[in-house]
Amino acid sequence: MDTRATQINAEQDSVIDEFSQFTGWSDRYEYLIDLGKALPPLNEKYKTDFHLVKGCQSKVWLHAEVKEDRLFLSADSDTVITKGIIALLIRVLGGQKLAEIEHADLYFIDAIGLKSHLSPTRSNGLTSMIQLIKSYTRHLPEPAQTDSENEPTDKRELMIAQIKEVYDPEIPVDIWELGLIYSLDIDQAGKVKVTMTLTSPACPVAGSLPLEVQEKLLLLPFVTDVELTLVWDPPWQKERMTDVARMALDMF
Amino acid sequence: MTTRSSGTPITHFDAEAIRKDFPILTRTVNGYPLIYLDNAASSQKPLQVLERMDHYYQHNHANVHRGVHTLSQEATELFESARRRIASFIGAPSDSEVIFTRGATESINLVAYTFGLSQLKEGDEIMLSGMEHHSNIIPWQIVCGMKNAAIKVIPVLEDGTLDLDWFLKNLTSRTKLVSVAHVSNALGTINPVKDIIRMAHAQGFPVLLDGAQAAPHMDINVSELDVDFYVFSSHKMYGPTGMGILFGKASWLNILPPWQGGGEMIKEVKWAGTTYNTIPFKYEAGTPDIAGAIGLAAACDYIDQLDRVAMAQYEHTLLAYCTDAMESIPGVRTIGTAAHKASVYSFVIKGLHPYDIGTILDQQGIAVRTGHHCTQPLMDRFGIPGTTRASFAIYNTMGEIEKLLQATHKAIKILS
Repeated sequence: MDTRATQINAEQDSVIDEFSQFTGWSDRYEYLIDLGKALPPLNEKYKTDFHLVKGCQSKVWLHAEVKEDRLFLSADSDTVITKGIIALLIRVLGGQKLAEIEHADLYFIDAIGLKSHLSPTRSNGLTSMIQLIKSYTRHLPEPAQTDSENEPTDKRELMIAQIKEVYDPEIPVDIWELGLIYSLDIDQAGKVKVTMTLTSPACPVAGSLPLEVQEKLLLLPFVTDVELTLVWDPPWQKERMTDVARMALDMF
Repeated sequence: MTTRSSGTPITHFDAEAIRKDFPILTRTVNGYPLIYLDNAASSQKPLQVLERMDHYYQHNHANVHRGVHTLSQEATELFESARRRIASFIGAPSDSEVIFTRGATESINLVAYTFGLSQLKEGDEIMLSGMEHHSNIIPWQIVCGMKNAAIKVIPVLEDGTLDLDWFLKNLTSRTKLVSVAHVSNALGTINPVKDIIRMAHAQGFPVLLDGAQAAPHMDINVSELDVDFYVFSSHKMYGPTGMGILFGKASWLNILPPWQGGGEMIKEVKWAGTTYNTIPFKYEAGTPDIAGAIGLAAACDYIDQLDRVAMAQYEHTLLAYCTDAMESIPGVRTIGTAAHKASVYSFVIKGLHPYDIGTILDQQGIAVRTGHHCTQPLMDRFGIPGTTRASFAIYNTMGEIEKLLQATHKAIKILS
């Protein structure tokens, strides 16, 4: 917790002061919505899947830039209340120093009673938005560039490394070496398409393996979405295993 | 062994008297009296249900079908009499055709897996409708994926009814089963299920009806419907959560394979193989939700002591009043305008997001559902991200709809 007199805290205190003037909930909401309306518009080119905040039920696009050790934020949402909440976050954190944002204690949220008035889903959305902004102070992800020739290969290797962490519970070989992945592609927006199979249609973990693959891939910062197709044709056969897998299973 | 009903006997339809049976309705939300209009998601529970479950745990609880001791026998008798009560509530020919599950979702999964894995071949088709809840889509997608079978979707017309002409034209020898909602959760449409069953049976294939939204509102008679599988959830019809029913014709349940394995569902277990119990036990692996079954039977009693005709009329009056009142607000568009509807009112307001409307209504103590209602394909069909949905139960009143109207006006004022 950082209680030093930072610019962030000064801004938080002024937000708390403004909200303390309202007695009823409707005034607070009207003010919040007005703040949202006053938010500078987000450049349309940033309204892409890459900029969508995961974990929000309503749509929120967030764009961040770092200039001279400070983080600049712009955003939009399809719901006006969420937009108002974003406007507050941007007002408190936008343009501030990276180190200060990373260690900021956002006490204004509780102080103005914002969380107690948010539904659990909105509250989760707010938490994930704050986490995302804080993560930008350490690493700012870039959308995939079309002109880079080498990058896709690097990404492919990273994706394969993730997939190799998934195991069929009955076989001590990861599913990549087993040959369960039929195809793996990523597009410029970071959307991954995977086609995979399982060793048998009656496989009891049919539900969990594809989900695990999806989760592992989503952990990669450049992956925005994973479209996974489970196929049974062609059926998996032992010949699809790599040599590594065969060695592990003593099949040579 | 049963608790005396704590409510006043109701001879005519009196919502104010009914409200006294539901303790939760006296609480406040955000400083306003609670107005609960999210009944299609889950209804509240009357004292008669709560007391029956409480009494069971305080006096009769033990595991069922196993012990020779008194409590186990009492619990078994209560559990099995609950099954008989539920069988009579839905007009099932035999209580062995009533399977206890965790809910309508699990009931559909049970049929999808057992029917799908044993009956479907590559190239076969399952017919669903464009207004299905995700629970009646995903299990079929999984099973059809495993069997290389296809899903065909009966289109939804602009008023929220099904295109039956399309249905008739697209039935083929590859169609193996049709699974549709009795009542749509997002639109309220009551589907012409008798016609659908007749057409399907004429071609010789079975029908599953998702009755989750029908059971709380209308008389269900599975024998009269001649339906092959009927599923519903306890918690939407004043019963406890975690309890659901699959009705299946014995002729089907006897030939379909078992689903989950475990205790209770077996006759004899040897390492060489296992022989399975008869229905309904074949499909009830593990210790069941005994209190849940007793609670659901109490909910059946509760509904049956009401004047069912008056109840349906009352709910219809609420829906008609709400529809007229809301449509008088400029910018409001009703989603789902079928002639036959259960008490579900879905709407959108021009320029406003359902989440924002729901939030402002909640600030005024009104619980509605916002979003896609687990029917994303249906929302796509109407080209909307979601709706705001008010759904009514027997304890809602005209006064509450008045307040919904005022609160919506206020939401528009704040949000615009």
